Amino acid sequence: MVSKEEILEGLAKAVIDGDEVKSEELAKKSIELGIDPYEALMEGCNKGMAKVSDLYECKEMFVPEILLSADAMYAAIDVLKPHLKIDASAKKPAKVIIGVAQGDIHDIGKNLVKMMLEVAGFMLIDIGKDVPVDTFVNKVEEEDADLVAISSLMTTSMMYMEPVIKKLKEKNHKAKVIVGGAPITSDFSKKIGAAGYGKDAVEAVKVAKSLTGA
Amino acid sequence: MDKMSPQERFNAVLMGEKPDRVPINPFILGFAAKIVGIPLGDIYADGNKCFEAQFMCMRLYGYEATPMYGYASCGPWEFGGKVGFPYGEGHSAPYVIEHPVMDLGDIDELEVPDSDKPVGAYIESQKVCDRCVEMGMPAIFQGGSVFTAAAVVADTSKFLKWTKIEPKSAHTLLDKVSQMYMNQIEYFVNRYGPEKCVVFDGGPVEANTVISPKKFEEFAFPYMMKVHKKIRELDIPVTLMHPCADQNLNIPYYIKLRESFNWKGIYAWIFGPETPIKTQIEKFGSHDIIGGNVDPPSIQTKTYEEVVQLCKENLEQGMNSPRGFILSPGCEFPPLAEPIKPMAFLEASRQFGVYK
Repeated sequence: MVSKEEILEGLAKAVIDGDEVKSEELAKKSIELGIDPYEALMEGCNKGMAKVSDLYECKEMFVPEILLSADAMYAAIDVLKPHLKIDASAKKPAKVIIGVAQGDIHDIGKNLVKMMLEVAGFMLIDIGKDVPVDTFVNKVEEEDADLVAISSLMTTSMMYMEPVIKKLKEKNHKAKVIVGGAPITSDFSKKIGAAGYGKDAVEAVKVAKSLTGA
Repeated sequence: MDKMSPQERFNAVLMGEKPDRVPINPFILGFAAKIVGIPLGDIYADGNKCFEAQFMCMRLYGYEATPMYGYASCGPWEFGGKVGFPYGEGHSAPYVIEHPVMDLGDIDELEVPDSDKPVGAYIESQKVCDRCVEMGMPAIFQGGSVFTAAAVVADTSKFLKWTKIEPKSAHTLLDKVSQMYMNQIEYFVNRYGPEKCVVFDGGPVEANTVISPKKFEEFAFPYMMKVHKKIRELDIPVTLMHPCADQNLNIPYYIKLRESFNWKGIYAWIFGPETPIKTQIEKFGSHDIIGGNVDPPSIQTKTYEEVVQLCKENLEQGMNSPRGFILSPGCEFPPLAEPIKPMAFLEASRQFGVYK
């Protein structure tokens, strides 16, 4: 008989190892054993992803491994999600619109930030890559988002971050904008009026948490 | 006052002699479009326009670098995929529309183009090289990086995952990509003669923000070695290396590459701004030319005076490198930088880069 602790530890390990088959199997097992799916998610998958995030920060894990960890995590989430009970009284998670700036099709960095923000408890709405300024603004209004995360890998596309910030300010929208990507610096983010800057996915999560109080 | 012509200055550095002042390779590609008033996409879609725009820029500013054709997403077009040209707002370089490899099964089906003709981007590259050679300038063409090309021939995320879970297939793809590069290099050498050729090798996907040095050792290094062995066999005198972005953890392998060929051939290095000039000189300076690494986004976002200052700092750190120094940005000159910005490089070299 497998214990609850073993299942949760196994789930975390499967996520760290990027073992999609194992994480799905253990997620199913957790349901069979009646483990609270929220606990399986938080103490299994998220614990594993938190470790992945630490290993990435100290350069012991890199993008190929993180992509596999993400696959493993999402495989488990797919199993657990239908069993999650919705607690109407619970505090609503902060809503984040995430996308790659206009003219830019490089989305691996954006996908990593998205995944880590999800793990940290944010509700993500991914609007993809090469996203026009107005699409960002319209989506923020439509979803009444709390935060906008824009990434850019090119010096040409980074110039489309500032117009999003300006337009949201003109509309007095509450959403705060965080930016990141290879050509972006803290100085540049301040210059364009961004509320925050993350030099990598791990820092993006820290900044998002501090801005939303999450 | 300049005492040498741009060509004399550049040749002096190549020959290991001291020029009058530090030469400049501003790594201008897309920026040239803005200067001559054509759409940026034309630089990549039409080799003749690419040559003319860069040649005009070279004449206008008086820097030393000669026209070249290349971009980071080289590979898919050559293997029958589709690329888009940067005509849209915010675009800066060709991008992949259709990867030739979407699944593992596609790798075995992938056919390596022969060396009897240019393929994909090399058709446009040949137009640039023809015009350069006609005017007594070198033919500069792309010979890597193999790892970055493989990562765009295939869907990038899938390829990166295959290096972990399907290493054999990843190696097969890398081998085919390296063969494509070697075939194209051979074609260009046959067309112009080795003495007129310069190979450009570089890419961003092997940066340590993406892969570990261990993965670089296993998946990038062997194929880089293979291509450079071919470059040495073909007796191509000059190789321009651009380990793009943060590749500090990969430096031991670049040293190993040079040691493996007893530091033969003239190699010039343009690392990203993440690699201090001091480190580059320590590791390569006794044998190879060090290029500068002025931060490209800063060229676009900072003032003219600030860019001059950044160039000055580069010059102070690099100009006495034993085998020579060329002032350069750490990657492509930003296409949207103000037209005055290349002048910051010239002014800095004339004020702070003069050899006594």
